[in-house]
Formats: sequence, structure tokens, C-alpha cells
Amino acid sequence: MSVEVLAPGLQTTIQAGARVGMRHLGVPASGAADPLSLALANRLLGNDLLAPALEVTLVGPTLRFNAPTAIALTGGVAQATLGGEPIEFHSTIIAKQGDELAIAAVEIGTRVYVAFAGGLQAQEMLGSCSTYMAAGFGGHQGRALVEGDVLQLQKQNTNTDVARTPQEYRLAFSSTWALRICRSAESDLLQDEQLGELTNTNWIIGRRADRMGMQLDGPMISVSSDGRMPSAPVFPGTIQCPGNGSPFILSVDAGTTGGYPRIAQLARADRHLLGQLRSGDHVRFLPRRPQEAIDALHAKHNYWREWLPGIERVI
Amino acid sequence: MPCSDSTARTIKACGDDLLSIRTGSAKDAQAFAEQLRAAGEWQEVVAGIESVVVQFDATLITIDEARQQIAAELAKGYTPKALPDVLLEIPVVYGGEFGPDFDAVCEQTGLSAEELIALHTGREYDVELVGFTPGFVYVGGLAAVLRIPRRKQPRQRVAAGSVGIADGRTGLYALAGPGGWPIIGRTTFTLFDPQAKDPFPVRVGMRIRFIAVSAAEAGL
Repeated sequence: MSVEVLAPGLQTTIQAGARVGMRHLGVPASGAADPLSLALANRLLGNDLLAPALEVTLVGPTLRFNAPTAIALTGGVAQATLGGEPIEFHSTIIAKQGDELAIAAVEIGTRVYVAFAGGLQAQEMLGSCSTYMAAGFGGHQGRALVEGDVLQLQKQNTNTDVARTPQEYRLAFSSTWALRICRSAESDLLQDEQLGELTNTNWIIGRRADRMGMQLDGPMISVSSDGRMPSAPVFPGTIQCPGNGSPFILSVDAGTTGGYPRIAQLARADRHLLGQLRSGDHVRFLPRRPQEAIDALHAKHNYWREWLPGIERVI
Repeated sequence: MPCSDSTARTIKACGDDLLSIRTGSAKDAQAFAEQLRAAGEWQEVVAGIESVVVQFDATLITIDEARQQIAAELAKGYTPKALPDVLLEIPVVYGGEFGPDFDAVCEQTGLSAEELIALHTGREYDVELVGFTPGFVYVGGLAAVLRIPRRKQPRQRVAAGSVGIADGRTGLYALAGPGGWPIIGRTTFTLFDPQAKDPFPVRVGMRIRFIAVSAAEAGL
């Protein structure tokens, strides 16, 4: 039971859950950059919410099924066809033997997830099957897919009931985002005025945007230490500001320590959105105290729990 | 239970599920991180050069409970564990295409190429920290004249094996990727091997000596 890659798309990788508890060895989280969309896709197939699936970036792949397979697509907005016929997102789809799945360019958001009933086979490394491209491990040979790759499913499973994501659980994607942030360790290095600039600016995601992190284009933020400090731990969602005054936000594959001031931290409740931010998107940062941000996380969990039991493992 | 003022200064929120503990030295950071990893069910305990950051699961404990648990561990005190008695010799090809910032560092420090190499290879160092990416090594104890800052704009890509210096330390890049340290050379020493039984051959506390070699000797 296998799936053949006819065209790989821009950057298609196998992603599952994050690596946890390894950051002190320099091992980043990896995992789906938008784990909520990954969970929604797996949910439609009865898989574990974090079962290994394909993460598609900006330009989708073309795949051929060598046996009947149930699949589901979620995430950013893109057109997709199966056997030449348009298919919808957020629904269990049965692919027949020989069918070709083609996913076009992602129009809104950045990443689409393609899950397979039973989950994809993937190399487990340091506690997760997720691909970490910088070190070349996990997923499919530690790299993005290339033409001719053949992916295996963990088990054949075509008895999946057809399910559809209820409307209220379909994420709406846009090009404008409001993200909750908290103060971080070096926020004190910013003058009040600079801190205000961080939260009053309509930031634009820069051209450098990937699974490592994203540049934030906007006004220069000057940090009183001239951007120098001893290396300190950083996490997905940490906003750092180097001496050139141009801040960036770290994503799931970012390194575990960094030497530029940590001026803010994206709240856990909103970290799953990192995977959908796209060059040119507009971002506002909403300042929150830690307890307010945690309350927002609990509210999100309460909202999602009915459709996604175990949501606490996802976001 | 409210924290005392001194505890509040030492333990600081750096996010809604992150607490940073100022420890002072790199050795203290390592020791306290080890103690926390042994003591609690933390998601992550990561040491920096002068601090430790703990990530806790906000669905299981509140930020105040996390702070109190860490304060209790701090109150116990922590002792650095015995360090591995290992001296690693790391071959480095200095300058040229392998050290794109070598000439700029000479200019910045007023050292000749020979002096820079002699200074960098002329002493034993300690591994203070591993992290950043798998196999990245922070080596402490650089000569004072070599204490230059990081680049103001990080590079989007430095080569695997790059040897950089910044803020009094040498950094060894196991993997290619983004990096902000001025790069003075490159090593072929294996810093990370995912296929090996122990993928992390360099550990905190090991001693390091850099050996100048030619590109031909290094096989570059």
C-alpha cells in the first residue's frame, strides 16, 4: 500500500507531533507548523490526531495512489483535484487505485495538510516522526519529498466512515492576523515607546519566512543593549530583535538558544497559527499578561474539545 | 504564597508558559538545569549561558505553582556534577573561503592572521553549553582581545562545520543554517551523528583544543 510522488510541490514534508524534552540537546520541536490543521485532517480518518501526514507549503504536490486509500485535506485555501475532479477540504475522500491527487498553489495561508487513513510510515528519531530538514532526520529520509519518492502507509484502512468537519470547526483563513504576545526576558530592554511600537504597528511578514522563522517588516525597534546578550533559550513564538532593529519571530524548526534579545513571546494559544503566516500577511500583536494568555488557551481547548478530544496534546 | 522580592527578581516569566531563572555562570546554569530535569515533570528545561528557562504545561499547573516549585528547588541549592575528563582536539582550517569573516576579525582586533590563529589555538577551553541546533557547541574562555560582538545582521546560511567567535566564546556549527557569529574557519570534526548510538559526541564540561590545519589536511 503506497503513494507515489509524481511532483513534489515547493516543500512537502512528513510532519507529526513535536519533539518534546530534547531542547537542552539542541533538538528543536519540528512537527506540523499548524498542528491544529494536522489534527483536523487526522480526525476525519479516525487516526491519532498527530499521526504522520504530509505538510504542503505554498505549492502542492501531485500524488498517485497504488491502492484504494481514504484521505483528508485541511489547512490553507487551495484547489485540489482527485482523478481530475475537484475535491473539497474537510471531508473524508476515498481515492481509488491509480487516482492522482493534485494540489494547486495555496492562495490564502501557507500550509495544507494531507492525511491518510492509518497514517504514513516515517522514520522516528529522538521521539517523533516529524521531518527536521536542517539535520536531515525524521519523516521521509529527513528531507522534503522529491519526484519518484514512494511513501508507505502504516496499515491499509479503507473502511473509514466518511466524515466532514462541522462548519464551526473549519478554520477561516485570511491575510490579517491578531496574535497574543506576552513580555519576554529582555522586554525590559525596550523603552515604553518601543514596546508600544511593537503592539501598535501593522507588521508585515517579510520575504524570509519558513519553518525556522519569519522576518517582521515595519519600524526599526532599537534595543538598549545594541542587540548583544549571552546566548539564552528560545522557543517557537519567541520574538527576537538583533542590532539592526529588524525583529523576527521563531517557528517550529528554530534553534533552541539564541543571542539576540527576546522582546516578546507568542502565547501558546496562538502558536499553532505560526504555520499559516505568509510573506506579505499583516500581523498585529496583542499584549497579554501570562494569566490572560493562559485563560485564552483554556478557552480555545474548551471550544475544540468536543470535536477534537485530546486537543491539549495538539495546541 | 507570594514570592519574596529576591525570588521574583531571579525567576521571571518570559511567556505564558515559560519561566527564566537567572543563575549567573554557565556551570551554575547547567547544574540547576540538571537538578530541575531530575526533579520535575517539565516539558523543557534548557540552560543558556547565564540562565535556565523552564517550559511548563499550562494545562497541568498554573504559572504560580510552577514558580513556587522552581523557587523550592532554588532554595535547596545546587551543586555542579562531576564533569567528563576528556580533551578533544578539533582541527580547524582558518580563513579563506572557510572563514569568510577571518579578515574582518583581524582588522577589528588589530591582529595579524598568524597572531589570530596562534591566539585561538594557544589555549585549552571548556565546553560551556550545547544547543541552538543538534551538535552546536559553545566553547568558553576566549582571549579578551577576541571578544567581538555578533554580526548585526545574522547570515541566512553558514556552512556545516563553521567555527565562529562572538562575545568571548567560540561556536561550532554542526549543521548548515542561519547564524549570527563571525565565521573564522571550518572544522571537519563530527559534532552530530544521528546514526550513532550517541548522536552527541561533545558534552558540556569536555575540554577543547583547536588545531590549525590546511584544507588539504582536513580533506576539505
